[in-house]
Amino acid sequence: MKTDPKTFVQDYHLNGCIQCGMCTGGCPVKFRSPLNMRRLVRETSSTANPSSLFKRPELWACTTCSTCSLRCPAGVKSVELIMGIRNFLANQGEVPSTIRDALENTLLQGNPWGRFRDRRADWAKDLGVKVLGEEASDTLLYVGCAPSYDPRVQNVSTALVKIFQKAELDFGILGKKESCCGNEIKRMGEQALFKKLSKDNTNLFKKSGIKRIITLSPHCFNAFKNEYPDLAIPVQHYTQVLADLIETGKIKMSKASDVPVTYQDPCFLGKQNLVFDEPRKILTSIPGLKFVEMERTRQRSLCCEGGGGRMWAEGSTEGTRNGEIRIKEALALGAKVMATSCPFCLLTLEDAAKISGMTDRIAVKDISELVAEALEA
Amino acid sequence: MNIVVCVKRIPKTAEADIFIEKDGRDIKKDHLVFYLNDWDGYAVREAALLKERYGGEVTVITVGPEESKEVLTRCLAMGADRALRVEEPPDLDGHLTAEILSAVIKNQSFDLILTGVQAEDDNAGQVGVELAQMLGLPHAAIVTHIEMTGDKARVRRELEGGIDEVVELKLPAVLTIQTGINEPKYVSLAAILDAEDKEIKDLGTGEIGLSPGKTPDTKTDRVFFPPVTKTAEILKGSPEDVVKQLTEIIKKKKGS
Repeated sequence: MKTDPKTFVQDYHLNGCIQCGMCTGGCPVKFRSPLNMRRLVRETSSTANPSSLFKRPELWACTTCSTCSLRCPAGVKSVELIMGIRNFLANQGEVPSTIRDALENTLLQGNPWGRFRDRRADWAKDLGVKVLGEEASDTLLYVGCAPSYDPRVQNVSTALVKIFQKAELDFGILGKKESCCGNEIKRMGEQALFKKLSKDNTNLFKKSGIKRIITLSPHCFNAFKNEYPDLAIPVQHYTQVLADLIETGKIKMSKASDVPVTYQDPCFLGKQNLVFDEPRKILTSIPGLKFVEMERTRQRSLCCEGGGGRMWAEGSTEGTRNGEIRIKEALALGAKVMATSCPFCLLTLEDAAKISGMTDRIAVKDISELVAEALEA
Repeated sequence: MNIVVCVKRIPKTAEADIFIEKDGRDIKKDHLVFYLNDWDGYAVREAALLKERYGGEVTVITVGPEESKEVLTRCLAMGADRALRVEEPPDLDGHLTAEILSAVIKNQSFDLILTGVQAEDDNAGQVGVELAQMLGLPHAAIVTHIEMTGDKARVRRELEGGIDEVVELKLPAVLTIQTGINEPKYVSLAAILDAEDKEIKDLGTGEIGLSPGKTPDTKTDRVFFPPVTKTAEILKGSPEDVVKQLTEIIKKKKGS
């Protein structure tokens, strides 16, 4: 599967570009790196030797939030161009060293963190969760790599399990058979590895007889819903499920909170997949919760910089991180809690709160954690 | 310049559950993930870099089971030109491994033989050095930098305390390669899939002139877990409390 940069103009509709600059204008790393999408499109379409353009560290600053492609009035596939360039580089082994490690780890251990495969479901061992293969269920809760292995995000996984059990929702997890969904792998440029993951996962899901998939992460949601070619199993993000459980009275939240809460729309849930209302329905259903909306909300939500492989990237950006900007915006609103529905937003925003010394003024929590807290009667 | 690199397939044990075999002489490996030995990866990359600079061919050799082919495929994807696998005898130690490798290598012409300093499983660090002795070649171990000057190799060896030793060796020579000598390049899945089409030669110990019943001189008597002790003390309290406690402990240990 060889990528030829000379086909990029065609593949990504670069000739449609009218140089309006909507892409660069909306780029969340515009002020943090020399990455300039408008210029990149122009250069790629007007050079006879596109590969000469690609040895630039700023190409790894892109978070694949997709604002550029979503806003382009001329149908240029900008974020797809970045992914195509990264694929070309990856096939030659020309990726930054930490990206290299993440990709190799995924092939070897099924997760970019390099954690041992067999440890993947340790977080769930005392929670009385069904493991598909040992027991049957129609519904798969696809946990994901960070929610399985990262101690902070394991709290989210545990909270979600608690909620589902309280709501008597029947589900199972794949346990140590679960492997990376590949969403970030594709964005880091490893199309061949993504193809392999998508094929193996699709076979595994089909073999387990499940009829429905719930994901914890918007990244996994995006991969299964939009990028797995043969899946044919309905996928939902957990916020869609919780909103429905609340509406049908299966979840009863009695413990009131009286704290102003704001919400970070994750790029892979919000602007890319248009799931905006369900998280808000959940938050406004929590008794006593005062929901305040940030100015840059919904499609305009500012990317936390966790996507596009940035969780495994070092450098190629400078200045104040977007996470810190978001924490400051939330504080200016008087919010005491920043709610998230994505493991990467959770980690980057919580780190930002710590770096800016604001942890005594604002807490970063996942929606599932807030609901689980409200469940305790 | 023609280079041969000796590589090993090892199990990754970090975070894994370790179980001891019934006979107590090894750990159970069925559930473990296997990979190219870290040191050997640096050696293969170094060979590929030397090939880029000076031309020639890189051959990788392993002594191992059928599954070792995966590791050889990775080496081919990393820039090796030829791959050879010798079927491992039922029992192996560093000395026997070196004997097998030397039986293969002595009939071929090489300028440089590279091995990793040691393997991640037994950490013995013997094969490279023993191989040099058996082949009657000069060697340098724990190499962190290689330069070619005509028919000699000028290398840096890593010693303790941050000191390097510079050694000049007449080729052909054996070098055992230390981690960090280079920055390993990413090996894409596409490159590995391409490398799977390349030929790997299989050899039995009989074919290289070694008696098939050869057993190693050393035998592992027993493998066991270190005894669990309770000598860690966790200091609790506010940072100020902890500092106070720590200061007392240090004072007591210092004897003042």
